[in-house]
Amino acid sequence: MKIKFRIRRYNPADAETPEPYYQAYSVEVSEGMTVLEALLKIEEEEDPTLSFRKSCRSAICGSCAMTVNGFARLTCSLQILPEYKKMGEMTIEPLANYRPIKDLVVDMEPFWSKIDKVTPYLTPTEKSIGNPVTAEAQERIDDSQRCIMCGCCNAECNSLEIDGYFIGPAASAKAWRFVGDIREGQEGRRLAKLSEEHGVWDCVRCIHCTQYCPKDVKPLKQIELLRSAAMKEGILENPGAKHVAAMADSVERVGRLDEAAMTFKTLGFLRSLGMIPMGIKLELHGKMPHPYIRPQIDKIDEVRKVYEEIDRKAGRKPGKKKE
Amino acid sequence: MAGKLRYAYYPGCVSQHMTKETNDTTRLVAGMLGIELHDMPKANCCGAGLLTDYDYPLYIALNARIFAEAEAMGMDIMTICSTCLMVMSTANRDLKKDRKLLDETNKVLAKIGLVYSGKTEVKQLLWVLAGDYGLENLKRQVKRPLDWLKVAPFYGCHSLRPSDALGFDDPEKPWSLEATIKALGAEPVEYRGKTKCCGFQVDLVAEKTAEKMTAVRLLDGKSRGANCFVTPCPFCHINLDNYQRLAEKAVDKKIEMPVFHLSQLVGLAMGLSPAAMGLGRHLVSPEKVVR
Repeated sequence: MKIKFRIRRYNPADAETPEPYYQAYSVEVSEGMTVLEALLKIEEEEDPTLSFRKSCRSAICGSCAMTVNGFARLTCSLQILPEYKKMGEMTIEPLANYRPIKDLVVDMEPFWSKIDKVTPYLTPTEKSIGNPVTAEAQERIDDSQRCIMCGCCNAECNSLEIDGYFIGPAASAKAWRFVGDIREGQEGRRLAKLSEEHGVWDCVRCIHCTQYCPKDVKPLKQIELLRSAAMKEGILENPGAKHVAAMADSVERVGRLDEAAMTFKTLGFLRSLGMIPMGIKLELHGKMPHPYIRPQIDKIDEVRKVYEEIDRKAGRKPGKKKE
Repeated sequence: MAGKLRYAYYPGCVSQHMTKETNDTTRLVAGMLGIELHDMPKANCCGAGLLTDYDYPLYIALNARIFAEAEAMGMDIMTICSTCLMVMSTANRDLKKDRKLLDETNKVLAKIGLVYSGKTEVKQLLWVLAGDYGLENLKRQVKRPLDWLKVAPFYGCHSLRPSDALGFDDPEKPWSLEATIKALGAEPVEYRGKTKCCGFQVDLVAEKTAEKMTAVRLLDGKSRGANCFVTPCPFCHINLDNYQRLAEKAVDKKIEMPVFHLSQLVGLAMGLSPAAMGLGRHLVSPEKVVR
């Protein structure tokens, strides 16, 4: 069947049309044909000026990621017919969150500089290099090792959409690849750096990265592992870790989210003062958390026992009693 | 609709206080629709994603404790919070597909005399209306079609992703919220940001990101002609409504966009008064779009 492809064209060097515009192409599509194959067909048979990146055509090289019908996809592994049947259109645009250079080609430099920032190689000590890589040790970093650096996750990342300095899902997954490696010797230094502003705590947990990763790297899971590891390493003096610690404390104490305590513990005294004007507005609408009356679930002792058991199973001393 | 709908009701922490209006209106509306909501007085917080960062086995065990309570009640869970939905569904997915994890978790639950066999399903109000109850049935309950409203549906992240844990709607082409808006007689507005994030998770961690993100979403819907927003998630509501003034400041633009909880929109269409819907609790008054 013939399907209309709507493709975003852009060539800043073209004096006549330097601004982006959409161009339509009609492509004869057969069963099993991929989006990349359609683009190659357009380029070969209809319009050799159409620019896009591609190489292996086997979902290994990571070159051909683009925005298809609004979402970042690896075009060599995305079949046209099921996609068209579901979405009712075929709109191809460059990856979001990157600067377009020409047509569907984007500037990947910010992607690579973020990867560079997490020191993407092993930095072992003389002792740690000898740690045996068991099947279990390998499994911890399996997900992160599948990354082909296509950039889909960073294109979908809602936090990066707003804050270009955010380290982003791709570099975070890469960071876990080395923090989680049994032979690594500098985990503490790495985790401290990742806990800084624009680091892993700035992830908004939109889950786009994990949903749209074509290799199932699960970047959000790697971010969660980094956050957990940072807290266990004792890197707690930052708003993200304080927020999580306050939540863990709140649930153990009353079984629920204690909004007032959470805010105060995350922000600290001085920053909490800055919340007073908002607090007054909330209070006027009956929305201010009560500072003294704590909500508590029935059978809170069961929840505390769960905390104790988890600590015991992990070989940790049970946390201090919070009454 | 087959038989009486009964759910173990899990409103989530935030709707028991800050966004109490959605808890109150959900109970009211469910009662009128004949949907039974049974309280879970023992249920603990799901962890809102933060406990996942803290300690994975603890997160799983605490969620299994919630599921065990519902299982003993013989009911599936209905929540009115998308974050609770996502966090519980993700834990449930892991427990159901990993026998070893379920066994280890049950060893912890055994210490408090509980067991979870993996039968509980977790749903949210939106899914109950668009799925179990049925929108044709809902249409028959509409007394006052909201035909003057152009509503921007704001799913928020956690109603749609990760789809392998949630499964009800399609994250690229969601339909349930738009179809519900239509069933209530209003017009859904199409805009790109409807499946994106409100920024809530970093409200206290990276405020600038959160405020700007909220503004971008609201302006997106506004630019496509919406005169109000609706969301199935109380956390999204907090950002879109409570913090809308901060969002306006962050981008230096007036937004002035009323935001409804899903339960409120249903209640209004069923003829309930704005006062009964708790609209006075909103920071951005919906007065001008309510008749």
